[in-house]
Amino acid sequence: MEAAALAPSLKNIAPQQEYLLQGSILDTHRDVLLHRLRGLCDNAERNFEAFSDYEAVYVLRNSSTAQQSQNQHVTFRVRHALDHSDAPDHIRYLGQAELGDRSRHTLVRACLDVACSSNVRDFLTEMGFRIDHDYVVKGHFFHKGRMKVTVYKIFRLIQPNKTDPHNLEPLGQSHLVELSVVAPLGQEQIGEDMKNFAEQLKPLVLLEKFDHRKIQ
Amino acid sequence: MQPPQTNEEKQLDLALDDLIQRVRELKQGVSSFIYKLENDYQNISWPNMMEHFGVLSSGLSSIKRLLKTEKMPLLRNYVLFPILLSPDRDPHLEKLTEGRVSAFNHEVVPDYLRTKPEPEVEEKVQMLSSKAASITPEVAQKQLTMLNKITSNILDIINASSDDWDKDSASLRNALPPTTSQQETAMLIAAVTKGVRLRRQDSQGQMSPAPQMGSMPTQQHQQQPLPQKPQMPGSGIGRVPSAVKTNIKAAVTSHPYQRP
Repeated sequence: MEAAALAPSLKNIAPQQEYLLQGSILDTHRDVLLHRLRGLCDNAERNFEAFSDYEAVYVLRNSSTAQQSQNQHVTFRVRHALDHSDAPDHIRYLGQAELGDRSRHTLVRACLDVACSSNVRDFLTEMGFRIDHDYVVKGHFFHKGRMKVTVYKIFRLIQPNKTDPHNLEPLGQSHLVELSVVAPLGQEQIGEDMKNFAEQLKPLVLLEKFDHRKIQ
Repeated sequence: MQPPQTNEEKQLDLALDDLIQRVRELKQGVSSFIYKLENDYQNISWPNMMEHFGVLSSGLSSIKRLLKTEKMPLLRNYVLFPILLSPDRDPHLEKLTEGRVSAFNHEVVPDYLRTKPEPEVEEKVQMLSSKAASITPEVAQKQLTMLNKITSNILDIINASSDDWDKDSASLRNALPPTTSQQETAMLIAAVTKGVRLRRQDSQGQMSPAPQMGSMPTQQHQQQPLPQKPQMPGSGIGRVPSAVKTNIKAAVTSHPYQRP
């Protein structure tokens, strides 16, 4: 539905899809996974690349139309790096993840990711977007070819708008593990590659296409 | 006298041709198998290998059967003796033997025309058979039972340790601590994609964007806690206990218009 609302504007941009597999690893076993990933991925000789981001999710609800359409809202995610304060912010739109049939190995969702200036928050607020929730993610990322692997921990902010370490509360006892590729639609080979890669991480992590409808 | 003679010769020729044909086939099988072993050994599976052996041994036994059939003249009644040995290369022979034997000379003839084992081997066999004959039946019986006993003992030991080993590896597999948890995965994905457990409690009441349809937020809210429910008792990991959840629920029922 969101995609439908955005469709006209999307036509002008090359449609990018994110192919996604997700899983999690308990904190105590994270290092094992990191080492394995380091061996499997490119740049094995380099040290782990860490990231630490603050992400705020903004929502614009469409209050004027249709009684029936209960999910009529647009979500944008704004992210900026806590460890590189001079880096630009990122605004990202993610579509509804499609499960597809059994022949498809990954989730697929529309994905638009654009770098932007830091006043994007004010801009969104002026447009009527409201912050829905925010969090901090800290972790590591790897890449192998065009596949990207992230292993990260999600933190809740105890006090709003403060991202210093004392104000962060870890969520759960696991790191989220995501394997993703952003590419134009219709490249079935990617799913195959990703599945093969995910196989190599078993049984440490089970990377699966997780049905997002289950958590609505 | 002449006709039976030719008949016999004809039979011999036929039989020899047949035999040569079979041997050639067997040779081809062996050489292709060797080729596979040397060049394609990565792709040979155990069953595949056994199959090859099976084919070869059936070829061998069919040749043996052929030699014993009625039609096959008694080959041992024919004598082959070398008339001329020459140290020179013989191209015809070389072609016949596919390059293995290049000259019919004094070096190779004793090996190729040998009908009995080498004298040393013959001696050894003689010695062993005389030794076997010298043992009395009682002693033999005794040794036999002894051997059986030892064999069965060893078999027992092997079986026991293989059982142990299986059990070990199985328990090792079970003992591997879980490195991942489905509940945690679901919880984290819910947080990242839908903001479940990341939204502020206080912001839910007050900061809601003003005008909304009544039915919609309520529905969303009721849906959210639902999937969590079954997880709670099982997982018990890293969760703020159910108090939070009931709070949400209570809030939902009392304020149907809050933000989702």
